[in-house]
Amino acid sequence: MSNEVYALDMQKVSKRFPGTLAVDQVDFRVKKGEVHALMGENGAGKSTLMKMLNGLFNDYTGDIYINGEKKLLHSPSLAKEAGIGMVYQELSLARRISIYENLLVGRLPKKNALFIDKKKAIEESKKLLARVGLDYIDPTKDISEISQCEAQLVEIAKVLGFNPSIIVMDEPTSALSSEEVNRLYGIIRQLKAEGLAIVYISHHLAEIFEIADNVTVMRDGKLVGSLPVTETNPDHLVEMMVGTPVQNFYKDHETKIQDEVVLSAHDFTRWGFFHHVDFELHKGEVLAICGLAGAGRTEIARGLIGVDKTDGGTVKIHGKEVHFKNFGEAIANGLGYLTEDRKVVGLALNQTVADNVTTCIIDKYSKGILFKPSSLNNLVDEKINEMSVYPADRNRLVGSFSGGNQQKVLMAKWLASEVDILILDEPTRGVDVNAKQVIHNVVKNYVSKGNSVILLSSDLPEVVGLADRAVILREGHIIGEIQKKDMTENSILMAANGEGEFVKCQK
Amino acid sequence: MSEVKKNENTTAPKVDTRKMEINKFSLLFNKMGIWIIVIALMILGMIVSKGQFFTSSNIQSILEAVALTGMVCSGLFYVTYSGNMTDMSVPITMAFGGVMAIQCINFGFIGAILAGVLTGVVIGLINGFMIGKMRANAIIWTLALNLLLSGVIRVVWQGKMLYAEKIADEAHQNSANLFYSISRTYIGGIISLMAIVMLVMFVISWLILTQTGFGQKLKIIGTNYEVARFSGIDCTKQIITAYVINGVCSSIAGIFYAALRKCASYENGTGYDFDALTAILLGGVALTGGKGSMVGTFGGVLAYGLLNNCLSWIGLGTYTKYLVQGIVFLFIVWMNTYSNRKLGKA
Repeated sequence: MSNEVYALDMQKVSKRFPGTLAVDQVDFRVKKGEVHALMGENGAGKSTLMKMLNGLFNDYTGDIYINGEKKLLHSPSLAKEAGIGMVYQELSLARRISIYENLLVGRLPKKNALFIDKKKAIEESKKLLARVGLDYIDPTKDISEISQCEAQLVEIAKVLGFNPSIIVMDEPTSALSSEEVNRLYGIIRQLKAEGLAIVYISHHLAEIFEIADNVTVMRDGKLVGSLPVTETNPDHLVEMMVGTPVQNFYKDHETKIQDEVVLSAHDFTRWGFFHHVDFELHKGEVLAICGLAGAGRTEIARGLIGVDKTDGGTVKIHGKEVHFKNFGEAIANGLGYLTEDRKVVGLALNQTVADNVTTCIIDKYSKGILFKPSSLNNLVDEKINEMSVYPADRNRLVGSFSGGNQQKVLMAKWLASEVDILILDEPTRGVDVNAKQVIHNVVKNYVSKGNSVILLSSDLPEVVGLADRAVILREGHIIGEIQKKDMTENSILMAANGEGEFVKCQK
Repeated sequence: MSEVKKNENTTAPKVDTRKMEINKFSLLFNKMGIWIIVIALMILGMIVSKGQFFTSSNIQSILEAVALTGMVCSGLFYVTYSGNMTDMSVPITMAFGGVMAIQCINFGFIGAILAGVLTGVVIGLINGFMIGKMRANAIIWTLALNLLLSGVIRVVWQGKMLYAEKIADEAHQNSANLFYSISRTYIGGIISLMAIVMLVMFVISWLILTQTGFGQKLKIIGTNYEVARFSGIDCTKQIITAYVINGVCSSIAGIFYAALRKCASYENGTGYDFDALTAILLGGVALTGGKGSMVGTFGGVLAYGLLNNCLSWIGLGTYTKYLVQGIVFLFIVWMNTYSNRKLGKA
């Protein structure tokens, strides 16, 4: 080891969970003033390593040095004292209380023994907010009143309040639009200039090459390698993560669109969310509905499947007008919806794979009121093999799988339901390269059998690679359409922002 | 502290390098759960009773003591399983069931029983509608209903005790006697009818849970309501069904209770809500829903009765009994949590 003092130096750290060794003898070093990317597939052990750093485990082994000093990080408060700040992927802000209370949680300045010094608290919050470029925001507002991006920045400000020397950011851009991402980069560069060490976790290769100085790759709980970003390229990184070289993603996609319209929406409206939406979905087609966050994509999907009430317009499936009162009716008519957030509305994490895969088809396979779960075991096995869920064990609790495999289980659930129109809402958010490829292949396979897909995704390469046609949604209105031949990441992004040649009308 | 480095042997190929041994005892406890405790209590009982534990009279008294709690459990299980924690209106369902049965004794014995059970169905429907359809908070709503109905009984019957033989006219005195006798009948002279009914109710409940679409749907609803909704499951219908089953089971218990006490009043059934919930939780059912089994619940009911019986054999006074019961129950619940955590399930 050199004499240089690292801001963070983890030596041969390991952490075991019941049944698995999640992190295995990993060395991880970050210098001061460096942005260090940590990469790996879901389940590679990145999150566990970072949780260890954040003091969530009291039984890790190995040594952790902070600024050259050996520290025991056995509780979150010890980690905080040692100067480690963590910006979580899911925001850890209380939505219904004010920004300043969130920022100064646990250390609100006091006037005397009983009362809080509100004036001082607000002043202090303003200083913190200024550091992340939010000086225009009133700290007495509630978190729920500000945008997702601002909330993400407030989260960073909150962490800065503890004067950390190391900041860990876990997928900080997953909920941000590209404009907002650039704003975040600016702040990261500024923090870097201040001499902070930043650990940056992300699945987006482009981000790594944009912002990071060095990159460390993990696989199966072990360290694969650590090298400067300038010495690598995306293919090489993917190879390090996956273990084998990956062939190009989207090249074998052939369109087999037929003229038959399977689903059409006309003048479809839910006041305040989407207005006068018109589109047609053909048999064998992948139709992307593109738009910025908050454009109303998810709301349209929820309206189509009958979960939310809509205010007007007609929806036809196979030429027949439908008015679904609940989701069950929609599924019975062959319309499925793969939800956006797998942990909250997608999967019952405390139940087994088999229970989850069969949730949509209980009625279908019931004889009268009788239903035998074991009678569907073959079907479940077939679907999880098709999705190459690993480990392929139908009796395992879904919660014990890695994120990518959970998403595969969710996809398997919808394959098992045998609907012929499937709405995919962010089908690959937060999953690794390998799982992404599996899911994409399955989607291609699904449409090639004469089924149709509506794709709602903010992952532009995914839209370009999978979709046959894209309609552009802006503030609840459809403002244009892009055909396959004209589809590039740039043209979609421009159109989503209301600019460019594909915008037919400004709402 | 944890300076000790454990030496992990991980020179392994690609597949499942990270799989490790898991705690054997936790696995066993997780599978067998409360039945280990039941067996332990039986052995303890053998010792403290000097061999008189498995005499027919002792077994009979154990089963009789838990029969009513068991009947409530076989239905209350569904409420807990559906993620609605517990039903605070169990006591009033029991009381109302008994009151209606005795009030309707002039429709004959069968009529009286049907009236009692129907009361349970109606209360179940009301609860199910409010909680399943209107999404009222399960605890607050059932607590309120408990108060409301107890007020109704007091007002309508002016707080009086109801006696079947007084309400019955000349022609139906036989029905009244028959009604009283159901809690005092012994099949083959050995096993009480109450215990048989409890066992039958558990078997039916077990069949409903494991062999029907309703049971499977309720599992998903209990684990995560939103997931169930976004899988096209008709949650409202399933939750109403759960409450109706619960109402029926509670009212049957209430009918037997009224017959046992030879009278019905608003206070019949007091305390059965928590007794039943304790037994359910002992059986390893998660209060958060979606986890648990009917076999475990039955084990919980048995453990409840066995412990009481053992303590009687030891000769503890009532106060000390409470103390020991509390300690034992805490221990069992802790074992449940501990084994779940060791297996990474909690």
